[in-house]
Amino acid sequence: MEEMVMATLDLITASPHSSSSSSSSPTTDNNNNHPSSSSSSSSSSLCLSSISTRRTDLSTDLRLGLSLSPSHYSTPSSREQRSSFDWPPVKSTLRCTLVEKSQISQFVKVYMEGIPIGRKLNLLAHHNYHALVKALANMFRTTILCPDSHQLPLISGNNVHVLTYEDQEGDWMMVGDVPWEMFLTSVKKLKITRADRC
Amino acid sequence: MKKAAYSFPEEVLEHVFSFIVSDKDRSSISLVCKSWYEIERWCRRKVFVGNCYAVSPPILIKRFPELRSVTLKGKPHFADFNLVPEGWGGFACPWIRAMAGAYPWLEEIRLKRMVVSDESLEIIAKSFRNFKVLVLSSCEGFTTEGLAAIAANCRNLRELDLRESEVEDLSGRWLSDFPDSYTSLESLNISCLGNEVNLLALERLVSRCPNLKTLRLNRAVPLDRLPNLLRGAPQLAELGTGAYTSEMRPDVFSNLAEAFAGCKQLKTLSGFWDVLPSYLPAVYPICSQLISLNLSYATVQSPDLIKLVSRCEKLQKLWVLDYIEDDGLEVLAASCKDLRELRVFPSDPFGLEPNVALTEQGLVSVSEGCPKLQSVLYFCRQMSNAALNTIARNRPNLTRFRLCIIEPRSPDYLTLQPLDDGFGAIVEHCKDLRRLSLSGLLTDRVFGYIGTYGKKLEMLSVAFAGDSDLGLHHVLSGCDNLRKLEIRDCPFGDKALLANAAKLETMRSLWMSSCSVSFGACKVLGQKMPRLNVEVMDESGPPDSRPESSPVEKLYVYRTVAGPRLDMPGFVWTMDDNSALRIS
Repeated sequence: MEEMVMATLDLITASPHSSSSSSSSPTTDNNNNHPSSSSSSSSSSLCLSSISTRRTDLSTDLRLGLSLSPSHYSTPSSREQRSSFDWPPVKSTLRCTLVEKSQISQFVKVYMEGIPIGRKLNLLAHHNYHALVKALANMFRTTILCPDSHQLPLISGNNVHVLTYEDQEGDWMMVGDVPWEMFLTSVKKLKITRADRC
Repeated sequence: MKKAAYSFPEEVLEHVFSFIVSDKDRSSISLVCKSWYEIERWCRRKVFVGNCYAVSPPILIKRFPELRSVTLKGKPHFADFNLVPEGWGGFACPWIRAMAGAYPWLEEIRLKRMVVSDESLEIIAKSFRNFKVLVLSSCEGFTTEGLAAIAANCRNLRELDLRESEVEDLSGRWLSDFPDSYTSLESLNISCLGNEVNLLALERLVSRCPNLKTLRLNRAVPLDRLPNLLRGAPQLAELGTGAYTSEMRPDVFSNLAEAFAGCKQLKTLSGFWDVLPSYLPAVYPICSQLISLNLSYATVQSPDLIKLVSRCEKLQKLWVLDYIEDDGLEVLAASCKDLRELRVFPSDPFGLEPNVALTEQGLVSVSEGCPKLQSVLYFCRQMSNAALNTIARNRPNLTRFRLCIIEPRSPDYLTLQPLDDGFGAIVEHCKDLRRLSLSGLLTDRVFGYIGTYGKKLEMLSVAFAGDSDLGLHHVLSGCDNLRKLEIRDCPFGDKALLANAAKLETMRSLWMSSCSVSFGACKVLGQKMPRLNVEVMDESGPPDSRPESSPVEKLYVYRTVAGPRLDMPGFVWTMDDNSALRIS
């Protein structure tokens, strides 16, 4: 049966197809350079850089058993390669919700100067300083200067505020000086302070 | 007999045809004879176009002059997963323009994966006098300005559904453009919008439309406004909540629970963004009436999910994150005997380590406990042939089985063998299987099983599988009813494709990306099959600048009666007769 099939296939006049002529695609190169890849298989054509040693062993078997995989097949098995978000097949609406929720939630207390009762806010529901400041400005119905505006002295008045935070060492800092991700790891609580007091 | 059929007056046949609603049956009718074709085309009110490039607006209009309802689909399905480059096509505008001239009485437009401009929405708003239904599913290209035009002008609008579309959200004010006298809304889905809508306008709209049955809010609608919305529409059957979180306050909770309890018709729940688990018990009173629950945005842990799901005894459809874990699925299997559809999504799709205790066992439990289960989409990190075999034997009634093992080319984790036999068991036992997605380590053998047993299979998705042309050949030569085939990162190439060129004309489309199809073979295919559009996508430059034998990045093949499309972006090349001559 299989012989017959292949005979039919051979009748087709197509340009000879070489599976080894292609050079490595950029994806494969990325994989080779991948810094967090823990397995030893990154140089093989069939990359199974993977999560456990058991699977690393397996990749050896596979290379022996399935030598037909041309070099341009990439396996997006690392976080970095998956930054293209085409595997696993999750729709973007869900993907976006999940990526931002990947640590589920990080609630911190927020106080505003002059108001005795604090609020709580999920930092991970926001992607950057701008969104955070906007959310807080809505929550406390006030104006909060964006950290990137750098115009503190130009605006003054009672209703203009800046956002400060307490870091892991217990120091009070102005929000916005470090990258957002670093801020997420060091923030303990937030305080909205009048701009003219800073 | 034959004579009797011919002696019917046209009006009688038209009346008889009017009882036949399915697209397939209407198409069959039109194939009986010339006169039936004529009668059928004049009385056809509804049409479904599965690929907007398979036919052109003038051809459609010429054949069906009296349409009231048009459904069009644009981009290939893999566009959902970022595989179709930006700017590929699927433009709605030429269709909307042509229909505006031809069908002044058009009532319904449903578009999927198409690019819809504000201009198109304005044409819809101004051109169709009795427009009722607008569904834009996974569409893009428009803003809330376009929606404002629809709201302001379509007085008889019954349904506005923007599910999973990417809308540029300029302002939430568009909702207030529905006139105060407007009361015909039956279904509103704005779950995809990013910004806050005008909440007062929303509340007024909801409470003045007595027939509103479906309301899906977006994430920006706060939980404390939900009770008021629900009190204004106690007749709701389907609800998508907004953000399901708030400071925990007993009065907010009791207010919400009371409002839910007042919705006696509510059958479907979704939304639950940012869910605060302590508010979930507010829906407990209506759980026993629910038939559909979409918790795919609800990032809560297993115990809370179990408490919720175990109360929903009539549940037929559950979408949930893998936080439910094996234990939760076991409870589901024990409590929800009516379950027909289960989707389990990964909460951490890009993580390398498992973050939850969800394995193949959860799916095995559900296949044992839920006798009506038909449709499965399951993301997990380990699978075995034994488990797949059990699932297949437990549930031969499966019609849709999509399994995604997150790590590509994962073998059976118990035996380290390929998963060929497991998927083979699925296609062998599930005789009515229409849709299948493969994952894990698979050789050509699995495609042998699929070609042999998958006689009713209509759509097949393949990734990182197979080891030669034979795999593709088995599928194309064996699956008699195959309509859509999508393949990525598989060593399938020229021989199988060209040997089955005629088969492609019987299918809606074939997608192959990162496979072994050469540019030369694409040209041959285009020349051999003039009724196929063979489109090569290559973002790295024109494919004829490289050797003919080098593989193309992406290939999309579909049958068409409209010829090559004219709106191709720079990275798409069509392999028709002329271009092949030009290139060679």
